[in-house]
Amino acid sequence: MKAVQQVPRNALAWLLVSMFALLAPHAQRVPVWVLAVYAACAVWRLQVYRGRWSFPGRPVKFGLILVACAGIWLSYGSLLGLEPTVALLLTAFALKLLELARRQDAYVLLFLAYFICITEFLFTQDLLIVLYAVVNVLLVTTALVALHQSGRQRFDWSSLRHAAVMLAQAFPLMIVLFFLFPRIGPLWTVPIKTQAAKTGVSDFMRPGDISRLSQSGEVAFRVQFEGEIPPASELYWRGLVFSRLRDGTWSSLDYYDLPPGERRPGPVATRGEPLDYSVIMMPTRQNWLYSLRYAESAQGGVMQAPDFRLFRPVEIEDQYRYRARSWPAAPLEPELSAWRRATELRLPQHGNPETRALARRLREESGSDADYIERVLAMFREQPFVYTLQPPLLGEQAMDEFLFQTRRGFCEHYAHAFTLMMRAAGVPARVVAGYQGGEINPVNRTVIVHQFDAHAWAEVWLAGEGWRRVDPTAAVSPDRIEQGLEQALAGEGSFLADSPLSAVRYRSIDWVNWLRLRYDALTYRWQSWVVGFDSDRQMDFLQRWLGQLSARTFLAVLFGGFALVLVPVALSLLRHRGRVPRDPLDRLYLALCDRLAARGLARRRGEAPGEFADRVAVALPAVGDTVRRATGLYTAQRYGPPTTQEDSRRARRALRLALRQLARRGKYRE
Amino acid sequence: MLPVAAWRRRFGEWLNRRIPAARSVTLDQKRIFILPSRVGVFFLVCLLVMLLTAINYQNNMSYALTFLLTTLFIVGILHTYANLSGLTLQAVRARPAYPGQLTEFELRLDRGGRRPRFGLRLGWPGGDERVVSLVDSDSEEVKLHCPVGERGWFHPGRLLVESTYPLGLLRCWTWVDLDLRALVYPRPLASAELPGSAADQPRGSAVPVAGIDDFYGFRNYRQGDSLRHVHWKGHAKGQSLQSKQYAAYADSSLWLDWAAFPGAASERRLSHLCYWALEFERRHRDYGLRLPGVTVEPGSGERHLERVLTALALHPAGRVS
Repeated sequence: MKAVQQVPRNALAWLLVSMFALLAPHAQRVPVWVLAVYAACAVWRLQVYRGRWSFPGRPVKFGLILVACAGIWLSYGSLLGLEPTVALLLTAFALKLLELARRQDAYVLLFLAYFICITEFLFTQDLLIVLYAVVNVLLVTTALVALHQSGRQRFDWSSLRHAAVMLAQAFPLMIVLFFLFPRIGPLWTVPIKTQAAKTGVSDFMRPGDISRLSQSGEVAFRVQFEGEIPPASELYWRGLVFSRLRDGTWSSLDYYDLPPGERRPGPVATRGEPLDYSVIMMPTRQNWLYSLRYAESAQGGVMQAPDFRLFRPVEIEDQYRYRARSWPAAPLEPELSAWRRATELRLPQHGNPETRALARRLREESGSDADYIERVLAMFREQPFVYTLQPPLLGEQAMDEFLFQTRRGFCEHYAHAFTLMMRAAGVPARVVAGYQGGEINPVNRTVIVHQFDAHAWAEVWLAGEGWRRVDPTAAVSPDRIEQGLEQALAGEGSFLADSPLSAVRYRSIDWVNWLRLRYDALTYRWQSWVVGFDSDRQMDFLQRWLGQLSARTFLAVLFGGFALVLVPVALSLLRHRGRVPRDPLDRLYLALCDRLAARGLARRRGEAPGEFADRVAVALPAVGDTVRRATGLYTAQRYGPPTTQEDSRRARRALRLALRQLARRGKYRE
Repeated sequence: MLPVAAWRRRFGEWLNRRIPAARSVTLDQKRIFILPSRVGVFFLVCLLVMLLTAINYQNNMSYALTFLLTTLFIVGILHTYANLSGLTLQAVRARPAYPGQLTEFELRLDRGGRRPRFGLRLGWPGGDERVVSLVDSDSEEVKLHCPVGERGWFHPGRLLVESTYPLGLLRCWTWVDLDLRALVYPRPLASAELPGSAADQPRGSAVPVAGIDDFYGFRNYRQGDSLRHVHWKGHAKGQSLQSKQYAAYADSSLWLDWAAFPGAASERRLSHLCYWALEFERRHRDYGLRLPGVTVEPGSGERHLERVLTALALHPAGRVS
């Protein structure tokens, strides 16, 4: 008869707790009805436990599975992709609960739970989420332990404690594996986050795009400079270059828009002191990387476009770390190709006639292109232009309205108008989008660039000099460049107006700011050392600590690390089973028995000490008397009437004497 | 087929050398085997899927979780092992049974320490299984039932002791031989009235037979003597162990005689004798047993019946013919 393996009540309780703990971080990602299914299944299973309802029958289960699949297909439009997969896993988890009767079902459920923990990491590897996941793993492991504690009737914390102990012991081993396990590239392509929004600067720009981005207090990327951090007014993070204006929208050129000869960047004469820095970008689901001009990167997978920006052919799905080196003083394209010149001058046939007329007039009044730039900037500076996050809506002739009527705009308005005026006057120019400035974290000297640092400016080509950066916003609002958006908008109160909970908003409160910066420094370290631990970092790390890598050192560290943890664990586990402490008299007598057993004279089961002593006297006459006397005193102590301290001492002495004699005789014999 | 049997035999011999039979066995590393359970293998497959996820998404936290679960598995080896290690199993007693019945073995489990033990599963192949946890008490008596074979000593073979606590991913087990054996009596078989079951012995002959009526002397203690008859006072004075002898007087004694069934096969004779022993006991008659080489003087009562049935069970004739 096989013993039936039921699911103990405690295990069911832990399972339900971990089930909801697992759902929490995914809750915002899955459709609402999945949450409803979750709750319904939990209630159903509880009612089964209480004996009110019964498990669903097979047809009902099949029906539920079909309905769930259909629901996911309707919600996401497909069953593939990461989000539908997660929703499917969560639904399967909830439905599996409805047939949780035997221990085997619980295993399936718990392993599924571990897998759901992993899927959370595919979306974010934020420090807090990881800490939360540790709690989840602890809960699931507790349920696994409780599943085997069938002897418990009442609820207690012992399964939680046991699970915590085991995970704590596993943790150092995990660290060893984490640093030693070779990081290899993906083996095949996997479903990506189809539903996640692209974030950051997009590859086209209409009025209003960047000001929308500036509503967010999220971090865009963090930069660590190897030397001094340049002043904020020099931190123009180039991300995209917009060379094409069409229907009031600036956009960048595709690779296939370029003639074959123009697809590679021309040679650049690097000059001056280079800046070395590394950037950790938050996932954007876009391809471009941010860098100071003029940047090169030796890192594999980072490419350079002919307009001197960096990009990655693979979308940035996860946090991405890259190193770059910039030469801010290097001249870019002192010689412009005919095709490039034509591209950077091209304007739509019609539109904004007043702006074009103004541009032609100003250019005629100027002595040179450089002089013309100054005049346009002076116009922005001297006329009542306002820098605002809340510009009025513009109509068909957007730039005419902006320059001659509203005069209120955000950086994209100024960059757009300025570049348009340059091109209209025959000066090659383009819009550059990216971020400007950043916050220096005094804790670890990183530059934190937030989404609200998003910015657009212009680049103008001047004969003999090449591309020159011109920021018309700086002419309107110098504060924006020197001190950042918050100061520039101080009077308006619109800074992060839509994100009341963003910690950045409360920078003025000292302790909040202190906490925020500490946490950000921790996040940086986390991202660069743990999340961003790739094969390059691994090589660096291992060579630094282990010297020249060889299979032998590798294995030595692996097994050495394991032994260092497992040996003490094994010792502590086995020491626990130590015998119940014995009376010193018993201990001596048992030692005597052991020693005799070593001589081949084992006390038989049920043999009285006196009989045994007689047997010993026959087999080993030399010690017979001593053993007999010691045994007599011992049995008198144990089974006789109460005695004095002195008698007990005498018995112990006699036993010790017997032990000594046996030891001596043993030596002679050997 | 043959090689399998040969391997099994060799495994059995190896096991006998490694874990010799003993009435009391404390489990230690020499005796405990450990391997992933079926669930554990499934878990390892799940880990592989997780590792592939980590590799394909280049996701370090997925690596970390996969490795944490892998090392949890490794640490689990020690914890699973610790649940069995140090446990002491002791044979207590075995109940005699008739062929085709279940015998009951009584074992004692001692956790040897204060750590609770969970989900210890005990059982013989073919017998029933018990799951025992030692949580609030240090030891527990366990009764296990096992179907017996034919007349004679029944050896249940090695007892399987296994546990998958705490994770269920690893199965830790041992095969112990607690030197347990149960007596299997002959199968009772009715026959025509036993020849001479009517009294053919003179009544009231004053033959002293072991009985309980009158004390008549001492003799050296022999194994099997009732502890109630031991002369404890003398022993406490340092004399050797002595049993008091009592006499009963044979009265209308019946003899269960091997020779009473001429022509019957020996196994059948034993079965008939068994039947009649039970029958006389039921009728409260005194009866004795005469087998080639064995004689049990007449008597009655539970202990007498046991003696008679034991003699029948262990009689070699059945196995000889």
